[in-house]
Amino acid sequence: MNQIVEKTWFSDKVAKIVVEAPRIARSRKPGHFVILRVDEQGERIPLTITDSDPEKGTITLVVQVMGVSSAKLCSMNPGDKILDLVGPLGQATHIYPAGTVLACGGGVGVAPMLPIVEGFKKAGCRVISILAARTKELIILEEEIRRWSDEVIIMTDDGSYGRQGLITAGAEEVIQREKVDACIAIGPAVMMKFTAQLTKKYNIPTQASLNAIMVDGTGMCGACRVTVGGQTKFTCVDGPEFDAHQVDFDELILRLGGYRDEEKHASDCKCNSHHS
Amino acid sequence: MSTYQEYLKGEREQTWRAELRKMTPNKERTTIERVKMPELDPQIRIHYQDREVNLGLTAEQAVLEARRCLDCPTPTCIEGCPVSINIPKFVKNIERGEFLEAAKTLKETSALPAVCGRVCPQEKQCEAQCFYTQKMKKTPVAIGYLERFAADYERESGRMSVPEVAAPNGIKVAAIGSGPASLSFAGDMIKLGYDVTVFEALHEIGGVLKYGIPEFRLPNKIVDVELTNLEKMGVKFERNFIVGKTASFDDLKAEGFAAFFVASGAGLPRFMNIPGENYNGILSSNEYLTRVNLMNAASDAFDTPVLRGKNVAVIGGGNTAMDSVRTAKRLGAERAMIIYRRSRDEMPARVEEVHHAEEEGIEFINLTNPVEYFANERGRVNRMRVQRMELGEPDASGRRSPRVIEGSEYDIDVDLVVVAVGVSPNPLIPSALKELKVSRWGTIEVDKESMQSSVPELFAGGDIVRGGATVILAMGDGRRAAAGMHRYLTGDQTSNH
Amino acid sequence: MKANLTTRFFGLELKSPVVAASSSMTGNVDQIRKIADAGAGAIVLKSIFEEEIYHQLQEELSRRNEFLSDPEYLDYFDYVIKDESLRKYVKLVSDAKAAAGVPVVASINCATSNEWMAFAAKLQEAGADALELNLFVAPSDYGKTGQDHENFYFTVVDRVLRHVSIPVSIKISHYFSNLAGMVQKLSQTGVAGISLFNRFYAPDIDIAAEKVVAADVLSADNEYLLPLRWTGILAGKTACRLAGTTGIHTAETAVKFLLAGASAVQVASALYQHGPAVVADMNSGITRWMDEKGYVSIDDFRGKLSLQNVGNATAWERVQFMKYFGEKEF
Repeated sequence: MNQIVEKTWFSDKVAKIVVEAPRIARSRKPGHFVILRVDEQGERIPLTITDSDPEKGTITLVVQVMGVSSAKLCSMNPGDKILDLVGPLGQATHIYPAGTVLACGGGVGVAPMLPIVEGFKKAGCRVISILAARTKELIILEEEIRRWSDEVIIMTDDGSYGRQGLITAGAEEVIQREKVDACIAIGPAVMMKFTAQLTKKYNIPTQASLNAIMVDGTGMCGACRVTVGGQTKFTCVDGPEFDAHQVDFDELILRLGGYRDEEKHASDCKCNSHHS
Repeated sequence: MSTYQEYLKGEREQTWRAELRKMTPNKERTTIERVKMPELDPQIRIHYQDREVNLGLTAEQAVLEARRCLDCPTPTCIEGCPVSINIPKFVKNIERGEFLEAAKTLKETSALPAVCGRVCPQEKQCEAQCFYTQKMKKTPVAIGYLERFAADYERESGRMSVPEVAAPNGIKVAAIGSGPASLSFAGDMIKLGYDVTVFEALHEIGGVLKYGIPEFRLPNKIVDVELTNLEKMGVKFERNFIVGKTASFDDLKAEGFAAFFVASGAGLPRFMNIPGENYNGILSSNEYLTRVNLMNAASDAFDTPVLRGKNVAVIGGGNTAMDSVRTAKRLGAERAMIIYRRSRDEMPARVEEVHHAEEEGIEFINLTNPVEYFANERGRVNRMRVQRMELGEPDASGRRSPRVIEGSEYDIDVDLVVVAVGVSPNPLIPSALKELKVSRWGTIEVDKESMQSSVPELFAGGDIVRGGATVILAMGDGRRAAAGMHRYLTGDQTSNH
Repeated sequence: MKANLTTRFFGLELKSPVVAASSSMTGNVDQIRKIADAGAGAIVLKSIFEEEIYHQLQEELSRRNEFLSDPEYLDYFDYVIKDESLRKYVKLVSDAKAAAGVPVVASINCATSNEWMAFAAKLQEAGADALELNLFVAPSDYGKTGQDHENFYFTVVDRVLRHVSIPVSIKISHYFSNLAGMVQKLSQTGVAGISLFNRFYAPDIDIAAEKVVAADVLSADNEYLLPLRWTGILAGKTACRLAGTTGIHTAETAVKFLLAGASAVQVASALYQHGPAVVADMNSGITRWMDEKGYVSIDDFRGKLSLQNVGNATAWERVQFMKYFGEKEF
C-alpha cells in the first residue's frame, strides 16, 4: 500500500503523483486532503486530493516543489512507497446548483480546484475557470479544467501564455460582463485575499481553500488555526474551505511565514550536506 | 468476601510469602528509610531531550525497599490503584529476588508496567493508601520505583514474559485511538481470546505516551517494547487510519467488527482566546510537544521544524505545562518560565516534576495570568502582558479561585509561548456518530461501571470521557470497558476482575 | 400633522424613544421580535453576567467531583465556560439582529474590568449595533475609597472604548457623592450615552422564616422620581445624551423624561407586566400628547423643563421638605 503507481512532471517544479490508497479512494469527496510523510525523517504535509479512482484504488496528488518535504516527494518514482498516508481529511466541498460559477485558480491551487470545478459542472452549473500563474510553465491541468468548464481564461504575469495580467483583472471582466452567482478562489494566500476583496465588492458568495501550516491534520495541535468571522477555526477539521469574505487573510499570511527561518535553515543544511 | 479478595488472600497465604514475612520482623522493616531515586545531574540533563532524569534503582536498592513492605493482610495500596495491580505480590517477589516473577505479576493487570512506573502519580494513588502513609504517618513504600524496576529489569534481561492468551473466540472488536486506554483494553481483550484491532490516526502507536510525554520522562523506545509485547499476544495495529473518515463505523461493521472501544483522547487544544494569541510563536502544548516528541523536531536530522526561544513562557500548571517548559529549557531557552494563575502549592503537576523543574532552573511565576500578546513587525510574539492574581474563596472543586488584582499589569519579554491550559475531547468521533450521547463539553457519556455509551456496541474511556486526566485513569477505563464489552458480547454476568 | 417619534441615543438614530431595556425578555428571540414589531426604538439584549458564568462554573466543578476528575482539566475550565457563554451570546446577537429589524444593543454586566475587553470586540464582530455597559459594584467594601470606586468606571470605559468602534453607552447607579460631576466627567470619555439609573436586585427580609430573601423584582410606579430628578439636573450639562430608566410604565412618564431632557427611556418591568403591547401603547400615548401640544418632533420639546432651560434650581434640586414649608407664608 501507499505505492506510487504513476508520476509525471507538469513542469520542472510541479509533479503529478498517483498513489495506491484504496480506502482513501473510496471515502474521498472533492475538497478532501491527505497528510503524508515520505520517510522516517520527513514532515507530515497536507496535500489536496486532485482526483481519485475508487475502482483502481488510487488517488492523485499534485505537488509543487517548495521546500525539503515537497522536494523529497517529487523525487520519488513509481514503485517507491510513501511511508505514511492518512485521509480523507477536512470537510468536503459544498457543491450545489449555484448557477454561474467563477473558479479562480492560482498556480498549483488549480489542482485542488479541478474536482470542485468538476463537481459544480456535474451539478448543472455554468463554469468559467480562470487559471493564473507567473509564467507559462506554472499553468497546470489546463486540459482537465477545460473538460469541465464552459470557458477557460488563462492569465500569466509575464504574458508568456494566455493574457498578461493578474487573476483579479480577468475575474473582474467576467463579473462585469455577466452575472456570477458563486466564486471559488484557490491559490496563494495573497491571491485569495485580493480575489475575495474583488468579489466582496460585487456581493458574490466566495469560498477559499486555505493552505495553512499543519502538523497532525486531525484537529489535535492548532497549528492550522485561522480566524473566520472573528472566531478561531481549525483549517484541518473545519475547513479547508471557508467563506472567503470572513477569512482574516492578513493573519493567515502572517502565520504562513511562521517557520520561514527554520525552513531556510533546513534547506541550507540539506544543501550543505550534499556538498560535503 | 469477593472472589478478588479471596484470590488476594490465597496468594498471600502461599508458602513463600509466609516465609518471607517471617524472615524479617515488622519492627525492623519499618526502620528502613525510603530509598532515594538516583537522578541525573540537572546541569547535565538540561542539555539532553532524551536522557531520563530518574535513573532507576539498582537491584540492591530495590530489594531493600521491597523489604519495607509489611505485606498487609488487607492491602489498602491496591485500592488506590486504578488498574488493581497485585502490589504486595510483585513487591514481595522483588524482595525474594524473583524480579522476572515480579514483572509477570505486573502484567497480570497492567499492559504497560514500565509506563506506569514512570508517569503514574503514585503519591496520589497506591502510595497514598499505603499503611505507612495512612497509619504510621511516614513515607510510603516506593511502589512506583519498584514497578519501574521490575519492568525495566525484565526488558533489559531480554526474557520478556508474554501473558497467556485464551483460544480465539472469533469475535472481532476494535479500539479507536492507540493511547493508554486502548492499549489497556486491547491487552485484556486479547487475553480473553478476542480478535483485537487498534486503529490509530497518527503514524505512531501510543497516543499521548509518544507525542505528549517527553523522552526525558518516558522514552518512546520503552513504549515500543510494551507495544511489541501486545503485538506478540496478537493485537493488530492499523496506523494512519481515522475511523469516521478513512472508513465509517458502518464500513467496519460490514467488515465484521462486533463492538468498538472509543478512546480517541482529549486531543483538541484549548486556547485562552485573548488578544494576540494567533501571532507566530504562540503554540498549543500539543503542537509543541508533538513536534519535539513525535516528529523529533529538535534534531537537524529530522525535517519537521520547531520554534526555539530565548525567553519562553509556558502558560499552565499541570504536567503538560511542566513537560513543555522543561523541553523548552532543553532546547536552549535562557529563561524558561511557568506562568500560572494560582499558587505554587496548588499546581496540579506532580510534585516530583515540579521539583525536577526547579532543579533545572525553571522560573515559576505564580499568581499571574496573561491578558494580551504583542508582536514585532514580522508578526512574531515579542512581549506578553500579564496581570497578578490573588486567591479568593474556594470554588466548588475546593481550590481557591484566582481573582484579578486591579492595575497590577506588567509586561514580560517573550519570543515563544506555549499554551498548556488543558485540552478538550477531540470531536472527530462524536461528529461522525449523531446518535452518540455527548455532554455539553464534548465528552462521551458512559455508564461508569461498564463504560458503555448510549450506542450499545460502543464503549468509551480515557480522556474522551473524562475530559483530560491521567494515563493510569485511562488504563483503568480500558480495563473496565474490556470487562463491560465482554459481558455485553457474551451475556456473561459474572464480574471480571 | 403627525408627530414624528425619531430620536437619537446609543449613538444611533432610533425610530422611537421607547427602548426595551436589558432583561430576561430580551434574551428570547421571539419576544425580541414581538417587542420590535410593537415599535420599540431599540432592543438592549439580556446582559451577559460575570456572576452567572461563575455560578455555572461552580455547578460544573461540583458535578465533576463524582467522576474522579483531574485538577489539570478543571484548572482553566472557567475559560471553557466563558467561551461557551460568549458563543451563545454572539449567536443571540446575530439571531436578534435577524429577527428585530431595529438596532440591537449588546449588554455586558461587569464586576471586574479586565477580561471583558476581548468579549466586547467579539460582540461587535457578531453584529451588535452598540454596546451597553451595565456598571455597578455596591460600595460595601470597607477597604475601598470613593476614589477607588470612581476609578473603576473610568478604567472600564477607557478599556472598552479602545477595543471597539461601535458606540458604547453606559448604565450607572446614583451611588456617587458627587453624582453630577461624575456623570459629566463620564460623558466626556467618549461614551455615546448614559442611562440613569440601574435598578438592582435588592434584598428583603422574610420575618416569618427569619431569612434574607430577594425583594420584588419589578419596579414600583414612583421609582421613576429619582432618575427623573437627575435627568432634569444633568440635561444639557453632559457631552453625551441621556436616557431615563427604572419605573417608567406609562406614556405619561416617558413624556416627563423627555421634557426633563432625556433622549430615550428604557423599559423592563412594564414589558414584564403588560407584554410587548405596552411599547405600542406608550408610542401612541406620546404621539397623542405631542399632537395635542402641537409638537412635530421630539427635539421640539426635549429638555424644555430641564434645570438648564427652566432656570429654577429650587424646583429640581430641593431635597428638604423643611425648605418647602419654609417658603410658605403664614
